Amino acid sequence: MRTDIQPVESNHPSKMSKQLIKDKSPKDKYYYTDKARTAKYMILGREVNEGLLFKIFLYVVFIATSYIFLNPIIKMMVNMVMSTSDLMNPTVTWIPTKIYWGQLQTAWEMLNYPRAVMVSLVIALSTSVFHVISCGLAGYALARLQFPFKKLVFGLLLLAFIIPPQVIILPTIIAYTNLGLNNSIVTLIIPSILGFGVKGALFVIIFRQFFATQPKELEEAAKIDGATAFKFYFKVMLPLAKPAILVVFLFSFVWTWNDTYFPQMFLSDSLFLPLASETLQLDKLITSLVETQQISSQDAGAIKMAASFLVILPPLLIFLVFQRHFVEGVERTGLVE
Amino acid sequence: MLKRRILSPKLARNLEGMLFIAPWLIGFLVFLAFPLGFSLFMSFHKVKVLPSGMQYDFNGVNYYREILFNSSEFYDKLIPYFQEVVIMVPIIIIFAFLIAISLNQKLRGRFMFRAIFFLPVIFSTGYLLTEFVNQGEGSLGFLERFALGAYLDDFLGDSSWGQPIKTLLNRFVLVLWYSGVQILIFLAGRQTIPISAYESARIDGASPWEIFWKITLPAMSPFILLNLIYTVVDMFTFPFNPVIKLIGTGNYGYSSALSWIYFVIIIVFLLLVLLTFIKVNKTQRLAKS
Repeated sequence: MRTDIQPVESNHPSKMSKQLIKDKSPKDKYYYTDKARTAKYMILGREVNEGLLFKIFLYVVFIATSYIFLNPIIKMMVNMVMSTSDLMNPTVTWIPTKIYWGQLQTAWEMLNYPRAVMVSLVIALSTSVFHVISCGLAGYALARLQFPFKKLVFGLLLLAFIIPPQVIILPTIIAYTNLGLNNSIVTLIIPSILGFGVKGALFVIIFRQFFATQPKELEEAAKIDGATAFKFYFKVMLPLAKPAILVVFLFSFVWTWNDTYFPQMFLSDSLFLPLASETLQLDKLITSLVETQQISSQDAGAIKMAASFLVILPPLLIFLVFQRHFVEGVERTGLVE
Repeated sequence: MLKRRILSPKLARNLEGMLFIAPWLIGFLVFLAFPLGFSLFMSFHKVKVLPSGMQYDFNGVNYYREILFNSSEFYDKLIPYFQEVVIMVPIIIIFAFLIAISLNQKLRGRFMFRAIFFLPVIFSTGYLLTEFVNQGEGSLGFLERFALGAYLDDFLGDSSWGQPIKTLLNRFVLVLWYSGVQILIFLAGRQTIPISAYESARIDGASPWEIFWKITLPAMSPFILLNLIYTVVDMFTFPFNPVIKLIGTGNYGYSSALSWIYFVIIIVFLLLVLLTFIKVNKTQRLAKS
């Protein structure tokens, strides 16, 4: 945007000085009209989308939507550090009278937090690593290599993308039961080895789009050197694909971490539950505690909020570290071309 | 080296390609094609779980008939859910589009706002969302403050749309929360429009309003389609999707039939989206030329 304004701005003073010479008027008169014009431009802008007024409008919209977006999260964090008396007190809405860690502690214990985090980490980390490897291979093949029925395979990929997991879940459960894998966390990892699992098809598409935007000359040079496709892929393409790898890794990690559907179906009575499923157990436990009146419903709400916070804390930390890469990575993967 | 001498270059290239795609194809057969076929098979059978194994008795289209004509689940849960989706998808797309276009302006602090709008992607775990709705954090507070519910009742009368709209308003924030990835896609799509297109339009004296309709919107149309499909797919695992609860291991045959009905509706829905999209695009191109 800036670049196209430059010529106009540099034109401006020179025109002024020409007029000055012609009219021989006092310098300050034009000085003031000039000032007035810049002020006008500042407020209204040369174009609608450059003026101060428009910017203020945008800020108002952004801040309002941010407030709507963040309100539940802030409420959650405030609620979880409130003591029972604060929760009962209707005058205390935003600022607790004192910070109380009891709810967090209860949630921590009810969730089996350290163990559940370990289980979730094992699942999410291995899934995302496998996704990067397997989806990368498939994406590269679809973008750059020749093989029979390539168009058909791409059609299958799109089909894989739109098939709801609900349709295929029951046969998968039966198959796992027959294999004796039921209730093992392995069931959540196996599909990702071959590029399936939580949104696997989407990751193949992301890789395909990324590799399709890379220059063709790379392969030609490699072919002259006599490198095999595998060597070329691992030595040249993969290092180039860092933005795509990062995007797939982060999305796969976060979505697998947050997924409750597959664990709920595959791990119906496993001892080692991932964090997101552990919350469902906690929910049942708390509901029964409220029904038998061992804890108040306000406390129950606060404990649930604390549990939710504990669940999203690890991905949140990862997000804060990689925040820029998330956004810029998608732009650079050419996902959209 | 030996391989290269025996195989023709074309065959060798094909072989390499097949080796790359093979893992995914095997995965497709094992994790998708087989379960898909098997669930279709089960939907036509009465499935009994016996100690010695599973027993399948042919049942014809009875389960389908039962669901479509004799059960409340289909009409009381599935149809309202699809009504919600029909309302939700445009809201998400339009919201994401406007936010992405605004975020594209060179503003100080836009990276912070980007991060905020993307934050829910990290958060959207089913439990958290349901909890927010249960504790009343999902609504904008409109409904109570302006007694919108009564207006809605008046306006929509007894039509079947009243309830879906009300449930949606109750978790409106969460609907907006589901637009994180869409905003990203639109933002990335906006980068593909060359600045020169805007410059020449400005030199020709087009107003920002015209520029939006004649340059930004047409250039963004592929991403709108992409986002439409993505949003529909994303709704599969929306925590308030009733299908998640309806399909269980209680009755394999019945659940499979239900899941296939669900799948067919989704496909019809996507086809409609695609057809409308193609049609709109065509008329737009005609109008331009």
